[in-house]
Amino acid sequence: MMSDDLVEPVDTALRDQGEGLADQAARAVLAYRDGDRGPLAALVQVMTPLLWHTVRAQGADSELAQDIVQNVWLTLVRDIESIRDPRATLQWMLVTAKRAAWRAVRRSRDEQVRQDSDEHATDWLTTPADDLPDAVAVRDERDRVLWGHVGELSDRCRRLLGLVAMVDRPDYAVVSRALGMPVGSIGPTRGRCLAKLRVALAADPAWSLS
Amino acid sequence: MTAAEDRELALVAAGGIDAEDRAILGRLAALVEATDPVPPGLVDRIGLALTMEALHAEIAELHLVGEPALAVRADETSIEAGTITFTTDVLTVMISVHPEGGRVRVDGWAAPAGEISVELHQGGDVTTTQSDADGRFSFADVERGPARLVLRRPSDPTVPIVTPQIEL
Repeated sequence: MMSDDLVEPVDTALRDQGEGLADQAARAVLAYRDGDRGPLAALVQVMTPLLWHTVRAQGADSELAQDIVQNVWLTLVRDIESIRDPRATLQWMLVTAKRAAWRAVRRSRDEQVRQDSDEHATDWLTTPADDLPDAVAVRDERDRVLWGHVGELSDRCRRLLGLVAMVDRPDYAVVSRALGMPVGSIGPTRGRCLAKLRVALAADPAWSLS
Repeated sequence: MTAAEDRELALVAAGGIDAEDRAILGRLAALVEATDPVPPGLVDRIGLALTMEALHAEIAELHLVGEPALAVRADETSIEAGTITFTTDVLTVMISVHPEGGRVRVDGWAAPAGEISVELHQGGDVTTTQSDADGRFSFADVERGPARLVLRRPSDPTVPIVTPQIEL
């Protein structure tokens, strides 16, 4: 079970690593305060997938996850005047989403335990490659091999890599920190999770020879 | 894990992120998206919710009159639009939706008659038109999906009148 982590200030060193979601979110907040809602609408388009997967990674079912994601956006808009550091917006939203999901999932699991039910929300990123629905675009053998090795990683590593994959390089550190992973868990160096995956892939002839 | 394996892992972990790492993450992103896609319509619903939140302080909600011509969607608050009427104390709006290829045309009529500004909100997109003197308005070539109308009367432009979400 993941712990409920504190928000830390966004690393100022990130500022020189190019435009990422954190930058885009900061600009959207400032524009919204100035009466221009366009940049925030654009941000909703590009950031909702990351929030979605952050919430799903906590084990929230689809309906619950949709409510939580929508609520995070509404909370942002309601509190938008009181955000002191707009550059922390991305991290704040990720932490808010994660916490809301974690609480909601814990609550629903408690209820299920009381009802003597064994049903759990489907755990994210744990579907075996052979059980992926046909509609899922496993384009080639390498996809299947990659999915298999990701499935062998710890829960923490699987979540970290799955969410970091959703963003570009400037946002790696913000995403890992929002997940409660130590600073430097990924970006600028690989960190242990990505290293484990690389070592496993390199040792797998199905990956390295194809 | 042997000491040698642990050393190898530490070495790889200390390396900078390279093109292959980015390729792996890109492939993983596509798999995650395919395995658990963002539900269709979620982004649009959030856009609408944010628009309504921005207008919230000033809106008068129009209420649906009678049963909609088509079924109310069970899974959410959207109303499947055929011909429907909404009303408030100050304004009544009737709209009808006509399929046109894969898209729709929305014809509407507002009473009491008068030239009012009519906005069609879909996700983050807003299309604006003006009704004629008889209160008639129309939106052609509209994408299907959840939508709301926001109407502003010249007599009271700061109090927009907003329909519930309808499914075009």
